[in-house]
Amino acid sequence: MTRASQALSGFIALLALASVGFAARHATSRRQANPQPATAAREVTFNRDVAPIVFHNCALCHHPGEAGPFPLLTYADVKSHARQIAFVTDKRIMPPWLPDPGELKFTDELRLSDEQIATLQAWVDQGMLEGSAADLPAKPTFSAGWQLGKPDVIVRAEKPYVLPASGSDSYWNFVFRNPVNRSHWLKAIEIRPGDKRLVHHANILVDREESGRRLEKEPGAGFGGMELIIESEAFDPDSHFLFWKPGSPPYVEPDGMALRLEKNTDLVLNTHFQPSGKPEPIQPTLGLYFTDKPATLHPILIQLDNDRLLDIPPGEKNFLVSDDFTLPVDATILAIYPHAHYLGKDLLALATFPDGTKKTLIHISHWDLNWQAVYRYEDPPLLPKGTTISMRFTYDNSADNVRNPNQPPKRVVAGNRASDEMAHLWLQVLPSESADSSVDPRREIQEALALHHIQNNPDDFEAHYNLAALLQMRGNLSGALLQFSEAVRIRPEDPIANNALGAVLLASGQVEGAIPHLKTALASRPDYFDAHYNLGNALASKGDFGGALTHFRAAVRLNPQDANAEANLGSALAETGNLKEARLHFERALQIDPKNELARENLEQLNRETQGHPN
Amino acid sequence: MAAGRVVVLVFVRTDCPISNRYAPTVQRLSAAHAGKAVFWLVYPSKAESAESIRKHEREFGYKLPALRDPQRVLVKESQVQITPEVAVFDAARRLVYHGRIDNLYEDIGRARSAATTHELEDAIAATLSGRTLSAGTAPAVGCYISDLE
Repeated sequence: MTRASQALSGFIALLALASVGFAARHATSRRQANPQPATAAREVTFNRDVAPIVFHNCALCHHPGEAGPFPLLTYADVKSHARQIAFVTDKRIMPPWLPDPGELKFTDELRLSDEQIATLQAWVDQGMLEGSAADLPAKPTFSAGWQLGKPDVIVRAEKPYVLPASGSDSYWNFVFRNPVNRSHWLKAIEIRPGDKRLVHHANILVDREESGRRLEKEPGAGFGGMELIIESEAFDPDSHFLFWKPGSPPYVEPDGMALRLEKNTDLVLNTHFQPSGKPEPIQPTLGLYFTDKPATLHPILIQLDNDRLLDIPPGEKNFLVSDDFTLPVDATILAIYPHAHYLGKDLLALATFPDGTKKTLIHISHWDLNWQAVYRYEDPPLLPKGTTISMRFTYDNSADNVRNPNQPPKRVVAGNRASDEMAHLWLQVLPSESADSSVDPRREIQEALALHHIQNNPDDFEAHYNLAALLQMRGNLSGALLQFSEAVRIRPEDPIANNALGAVLLASGQVEGAIPHLKTALASRPDYFDAHYNLGNALASKGDFGGALTHFRAAVRLNPQDANAEANLGSALAETGNLKEARLHFERALQIDPKNELARENLEQLNRETQGHPN
Repeated sequence: MAAGRVVVLVFVRTDCPISNRYAPTVQRLSAAHAGKAVFWLVYPSKAESAESIRKHEREFGYKLPALRDPQRVLVKESQVQITPEVAVFDAARRLVYHGRIDNLYEDIGRARSAATTHELEDAIAATLSGRTLSAGTAPAVGCYISDLE
């Protein structure tokens, strides 16, 4: 214990003064920087030696309005944190950069060299000399506005989220409803997450199915949660990382690439905050930048994981989770995003080429969730068909891991909460064009991935669903039927899987088999347009036009802009003898889509039938 | 034991994120010990004016009396080196503890989801009950006071 050698005399009197006037010497730092003999010999000054390092590597975040908690733009700024800087750079806590140096380089690498770190130590050891003004490089300038100029569309979260003053980290999701009212090719998104000092990272998910909205307690309120699962009936036409971390400039897609953003699509911003000590209202803004040039290159995301193996006993210090996926086609890796939670320790991704040689794709030997990032390759490596990508992640579930959210440690399995774990490795790859035009390399990868995930986990709902959708696209209805049935077996109430299974059964003539699945879909989600539409068709095809009417009416109410639903409603009305109303809906269908064949033919038939019999 | 209250000095800095993150904890602990321990905030920076300190207190919800210590007299008496760091004095004004508030931070950039040891509370409780503190000082994690002007 620490005891003062003498009583503190006149303590109260001293405290009553606003400031205390004695000459005090500087206390010495407990954590003295290690002197570096190599550079200690030479005089190190701020203006000549330190400013270039700080301006280039620190000021990006450490300037007003950015993520750094204090600016590092002047001699006084840097001096007032000098020992801190020497300490955090020596331990490579700052600048935050997780990947170990390796053969493959990443863009925007924020890693100081050993010499730079030694220079900072020597500067502090020598008493933080300012040096000659002539040596000072130009102060970096930053623009406070939109980094890519005025965006084509700016959207702001409807309601702020108030980050509590204290507690552990917060995860919040903001739903940006329908930011565009027609299709656009998106070249870049600038994410302005609010007060950047509070945000550790943010990720945008493209939500075509209003999945995010359904999780909001009230419209625009957003919702909590660390990991998002966005359901999707269609495959992403393109797969892009939409990621923000402190200090990262907005990413502009390279030539030939762009993200297709349709109308009736929401963007969901998933954010990770750390409390600051006071309540902070946070209301992010997104700036969208479009291009007229449609994408000609279509990357795809490959996800390696092995959630079933993630079952870490308490106290385990080195728990390994691995997964291996072999590429069915040639592909270039553009970017990589390894992800684990607080037990993650060492994250490694490897490529083993067909000839057996290996290459490290990324190695993070000191994982820290707080500084997770998407890493883009400076010189993207081409991996030939037959290359195996391997994920090797280790986890520390002992009490020695200070970030362990469970103290004392307990069994941890895969899950979406911060106290659960994840072992995911995402790669953005660009498949090479196939010489055989009948082969779509993206579908080859998607199919191989779905099969891979089913092999890892026969109860993988998404894998069965995705495989079914791929088989359906290929016209393999019996295969699709089998896989959608598996998806429904795994999640018997799932509206999307039930609707899809119903639709395939309907398409293969099995009306009676389809109806119960479509009804289940509607029981789970009463406002499901597709299921109403399909059930209307199923009932109509067995002659139950009264039943069909109910569902087509619901479909039209849910989506008044769907010409087919209007045309089918008209047909059902005509079948039940309500020709007057039927005509209105055929006409409405043709208003929406003048080329709608069904509505045109039916209207013509109606005109023939009612000739001379006006009703 | 002589009548009198325990005095806790909390050394803080306006631009130190770890120091600021502790504001709710410090405020909560001072309220919990009202009548038994008196908490003071101490700002060791020469650069902070009375106005900037008042603004900082308002922003972070501090309802504690604050002191400037530009000459580092209290810093020296308290043997502290970091913000945030606390010093606990008994009724006889002897320094009985200085160091971290709790172990939320293992190191800069390495935080627990919640503290598992509570050194300041333990020190206050021991001092109030006249017990001798058994544990040694626990080094604080945060920003160096010696970096300040």
